[in-house]
Amino acid sequence: MTFEAGARAALSDAQLRGALRHATTLFAEKRRAAMATAPDWEGARDRARAIKDETLLHLDRYLDQFTASAERAGARMHWARDAGEACAIIGWIAEQRGARTIVKSKSMATEEIHLNAALARRGIEPIETDLGEYIIQLAGETPSHIVAPAIHKTKGQIAALFAEKLGIAPSDDAAALTAAARQALRRRFAEADIGISGVNFAVAETGTILILENEGNARLTTSLPRTHIALMGIEKVIPRFADLEVFLQLLPRSGTGQVLTAYQSLLTGVKRHPDDEGPDELHIVLLDNGRSRMLAAPVTRQTLACIRCGACLNACPVYRQIGGHAYGAVYAGPIGAILTPQLIGIERAAHLPYASSLCGACRDVCPVKIDIPAVLLHLRAEVVAQHAGKRRVFERLAFRAYAAVMARPRLYERVMRLARALHITPPLRAWTKWRDLRPLAPRSFREEWRRGLKKEGTG
Amino acid sequence: MTDAARHQILRSIRANLAASAPSAPAAPVPRPPSQREQDADLVSRFTTQLEAVGAQWTLVRGEVEAARALRRILADAGAKRVAGSDAPLVARLLTERLVDLSRDELFTCDAGVTTAQWGIAETGTLVLESVRERSRLASLVPPVHVAVLSTACIVASLGDALARLDVTSHAITLITGPSRTSDIELTLVVGVHGPQMVHVLLLEEA
Repeated sequence: MTFEAGARAALSDAQLRGALRHATTLFAEKRRAAMATAPDWEGARDRARAIKDETLLHLDRYLDQFTASAERAGARMHWARDAGEACAIIGWIAEQRGARTIVKSKSMATEEIHLNAALARRGIEPIETDLGEYIIQLAGETPSHIVAPAIHKTKGQIAALFAEKLGIAPSDDAAALTAAARQALRRRFAEADIGISGVNFAVAETGTILILENEGNARLTTSLPRTHIALMGIEKVIPRFADLEVFLQLLPRSGTGQVLTAYQSLLTGVKRHPDDEGPDELHIVLLDNGRSRMLAAPVTRQTLACIRCGACLNACPVYRQIGGHAYGAVYAGPIGAILTPQLIGIERAAHLPYASSLCGACRDVCPVKIDIPAVLLHLRAEVVAQHAGKRRVFERLAFRAYAAVMARPRLYERVMRLARALHITPPLRAWTKWRDLRPLAPRSFREEWRRGLKKEGTG
Repeated sequence: MTDAARHQILRSIRANLAASAPSAPAAPVPRPPSQREQDADLVSRFTTQLEAVGAQWTLVRGEVEAARALRRILADAGAKRVAGSDAPLVARLLTERLVDLSRDELFTCDAGVTTAQWGIAETGTLVLESVRERSRLASLVPPVHVAVLSTACIVASLGDALARLDVTSHAITLITGPSRTSDIELTLVVGVHGPQMVHVLLLEEA
């Protein structure tokens, strides 16, 4: 489905729009309230961005340091150039251990590499354990929001789904639905061979990986099974342990409007003693999949500063109307519109840089101050450059003429006078299909001014 | 396979960084404003935050009082099978606890009792370090978690706690209130996969 068709379908889905309006509005309100509890919000944003910039400029060095620290603590490191390689590594580890079921905590990186399908092809059953992810796995869907994957679903839809798949009595009580999921998943946790998680931050200095969550499913996933596999994009690394403070101030407040999420697991290698609790082995898979390419220019590089809080989705007037699925990509919303084309190639996602009104709300809420509109414009220029063929000749000429007129006040006045006299409407059907072109006033403001408006104003 | 991948990824990072126009060196990271709290405020700030995140607390003086309070908390919660960590303090406060449980046995427990190594006043957070105690599962699997925390171990901020953490721990867990989710229409539901109830037993030296 094209973006236009997806957006149109979403716009006519009253249930979806109700769910989106409710959720994004509530998220935005909670975020504002939580921001106010931070001692120095703007300062924290600047510090976080400076840390990310410093890391990205020396990413090779920090990845080497992280690898060495994590290995010293007993972790096994794996490097994956692309999605297929990451799936192969994880599938191979699982097969070596004769794994039948795998419990997973929420991870956008595993969505990005389509890990569940890859595991299923090997006869291994991946079980999503985050409640939102569990809901969409039961429904056979994909996440529509980075932080709240089932944001597009109403309670009624979830109740019907659980009644069908879990055999429980239909209920409109969120607590009863949650309890049903808890009960169904407890058994899966107890029998799982492997736990797979994402990573929010990886500390080069200590080899520590940090996972934030609210439900406790990530703690269970990383504590109970004998083997823990953590998948992380190479941009998740930060230099120092102390750097975690500023990111822990920003991420929960921006993401869910919490001062802190219920749990942070800071995992450094594996247990030191057989009697200790926790997995016997920790595998960390470092994923490139197009990320290193983004380092090539400062404008694209800032995409890698993202901490996946989802605040830009909740703020975006486009996302708030159409939701995540219409984008037709794993990462939706403003961050998805700049991330996806860079990950999978601009030719496969040429519509995404245009899925924005460039209003800048995303840039304003971004906790690490990513200038998303600037990246969108950069990517639009790339799309245009790629399509620079005959079909664009008229467009290029039109813009050149427009620029010439707009840069010369005298010429501009003359052209406008002519347009008014002849009642010319520019032939812009493609443009006016989505936008209003205001009719020309009988006289311009400058003419009115010269004819006496000036005197009226001062008199 | 993975060694070749490693070299290729690192080479790609270096090549792409070299290709970018020499940008201004990254701005120095500004230092966070430091704010030190009066010790006297810490306990009340901590308990205020505990309440804000939906946790309960009881302040006791000395271990005799603590043992009595712990029994009452567990009885009120209707907890019969209680998993304990291996902390000596927990052993002294609760002799009839269950230790070294299997995964399956743990799932049948009504409550878990552990200590916490640190409390963070600004967020109402408990910090559990694996190097000090086997508390990882007892604090997670049963529906009730009781954590014993010395009032002397409450620090003002997250930064203060991070500075004190023992990173020789293979697992450090920060706990702020009970397990929670808002995945269904953003309606808050407490007690998803972790404990529904977190009770902090604040222990003052007698």
